[in-house]
Amino acid sequence: MPEIFINGQAVQADDNQTVMQAALAHGFFIPYFCWHPHLSVHGNCRICTVEVEGDGGGWLDIACNMPVAKGMRILTDSDKVRARRKQTMQFITLNHPVDCGICDKAGECTLQDYHVAYNGSPSTSRDPKVQSTKFFPLSQRIILDNERCILCTRCVRFTREVSKSNALGVRNRGDHSLIRPTEDRSFDADEYSDNVIDLCPVGALLSRRFHYKARVWYLKPTPSVCPGCERGCSIDLWHRRPEWKLSALDARQNNRIDRVTPRENPAVNGPWMCNKGRDLAATFERARADQPLLKGRPVDSTAAIANARQLIGDARHPVALVSSWGSNEELASFKQALGGRFECFVKADVAAAPGETLADAILIRPDKNPNTAGARALFGAAPPRFAADTDLVLVWGEGTNFGDLPPRAKVIFLNAWLQPENGHADVFFPISVQTERAGHYTNFEGVESAFAPCFAKADTVADAEALFAALAVGPESGA
Amino acid sequence: MTRPPYRRKQYWNEPEMGWYERAYLFEILRGLAITGGVFLRNMGKWMTGRKGALTTYYPEETRADYAAGNRGKHVLTQRPDGSPQCVACNMCATVCPAKVIEIDAAFDPDDPAHPKYPSRFEIDYSRCVFCGLCVEACPEDAIRMVKEVPNLPSLDRHGMWLGKDELLTWHPLSDVAKPYPGAPARDKSRGPA
Repeated sequence: MPEIFINGQAVQADDNQTVMQAALAHGFFIPYFCWHPHLSVHGNCRICTVEVEGDGGGWLDIACNMPVAKGMRILTDSDKVRARRKQTMQFITLNHPVDCGICDKAGECTLQDYHVAYNGSPSTSRDPKVQSTKFFPLSQRIILDNERCILCTRCVRFTREVSKSNALGVRNRGDHSLIRPTEDRSFDADEYSDNVIDLCPVGALLSRRFHYKARVWYLKPTPSVCPGCERGCSIDLWHRRPEWKLSALDARQNNRIDRVTPRENPAVNGPWMCNKGRDLAATFERARADQPLLKGRPVDSTAAIANARQLIGDARHPVALVSSWGSNEELASFKQALGGRFECFVKADVAAAPGETLADAILIRPDKNPNTAGARALFGAAPPRFAADTDLVLVWGEGTNFGDLPPRAKVIFLNAWLQPENGHADVFFPISVQTERAGHYTNFEGVESAFAPCFAKADTVADAEALFAALAVGPESGA
Repeated sequence: MTRPPYRRKQYWNEPEMGWYERAYLFEILRGLAITGGVFLRNMGKWMTGRKGALTTYYPEETRADYAAGNRGKHVLTQRPDGSPQCVACNMCATVCPAKVIEIDAAFDPDDPAHPKYPSRFEIDYSRCVFCGLCVEACPEDAIRMVKEVPNLPSLDRHGMWLGKDELLTWHPLSDVAKPYPGAPARDKSRGPA
């Protein structure tokens, strides 16, 4: 445990730490572009330069690649360091086009922030800026603006060290260096490629999905959990801030998931997530069911609840197929209200799509439902099976073929989406989706993660948790 | 405690009224005659197709004498090829204190110098406070305010939004800042615009 001094303050550092790690761990900020806590040290951007006090007036060196040594005295904000940082920023922005007005990164761009904090003056160069490729298609999902790129090579190191696809490299030298796909690999095959968009400290790597969709300060992140597989990665759902609600343009923009980014959670996903999770908007933008039905006939929710209570009360052998997309709160509510009345099985709402990666060594898991573990903890892991005398089936969630249900059994169906099965059920309830309620999912390792609501649900749509309590049939009604 | 009785304040320019003024009715009738005379004269002019009073008959008529610096309605300036100068950076929409500007951006891969352009640009004049901050915030000199006022009257608030088509109709004969494209040749077959 060497003791070092940062800005004159004694700090206990770990033996194998760098000055950067020790400083950040103790609340001293040192700026960085190419360094990243989860990638190897490359040391090419030089913005993390700090002053080491020593004989002969000290010297300047980069904090990210400097191991701590006993008694080291570091200055992170001396005059020398400030001057060097300003020169470094001048150099990094030498060929940067400064087209922040049309850059999707503007507002959350490290280069912008550092320019304001450490440079603040226009370029002193008289030479024309190097022109380079704009909007180079790196893959089906990502475009690259080479003029904005500062060649920190975070993306290259990500494909080599984290996603292991080795799909990116640097071509040419000096001013003419270009990030390009390697010849024998395809960046499309990288299941984690979109993480380089977040990694990029400038606006060089751009998501096609988010391109020119909104300026980032109009958006707000809501913490959520990815329902794409049983890993349950912690994510942020970015949607328009209520104070920036649009009234003349398409109103759907106000209730739209504009982008999905990972929320760092060391217990589950670290700082990464897969491409499937980035496309969650497509899952939640499907047409919604918003009308309770009795055999396809629209009714109000009180009539539907009365009918369902009647069916539940009269049934001799009711079976429930419990959703693996229900939150722990909803599952507990079901267990408490109806668990004693029904024979319960956990069903898989969603099966892997054809061609989808089933599992890999990083994050992706074979079960494509978020809360199978939470549901099985309450209702057991037995696969659904129907006894001969089953006369009522409660199906909660999508993905059940009604042809597989016992033909003479009545069906109570709870679903969020507009699907043809809705009209075939004896009683149908529209229920809310994950973006409209708060709750928890338990992932396959038993880690619970919370999600928060970001949109309001329609009035005719029921919250499953409240619905189960309303459906609970007491002993007096003949259960 | 009793207050002293109220006494009307005496002014230095108290009118000196004789019995004729004190009689009230004659002077009232004289006043009515002046007002009625002006009214009848204006109505006579109006009925014979001339203009009487100085009033501007808004919205049928707009004043021609707005000051040069009047912050009237917004216009979007154009590049020499007639495309909007706006790059849809949303600076005006962000700085707007009334939040009346809404812009939809689109990507034009065929124009590498101007890849981002507004596919829709809407201003709500029912809420605009005409402060001119949008003009100051614009990095591209794309939005300006001209002295003419927008055509505000409408039967509902939705009619008070001005869109991109309307904002791009500004075609000055010349511009101090840049060469300016002329108005597009009007299609004669369609009749007057």
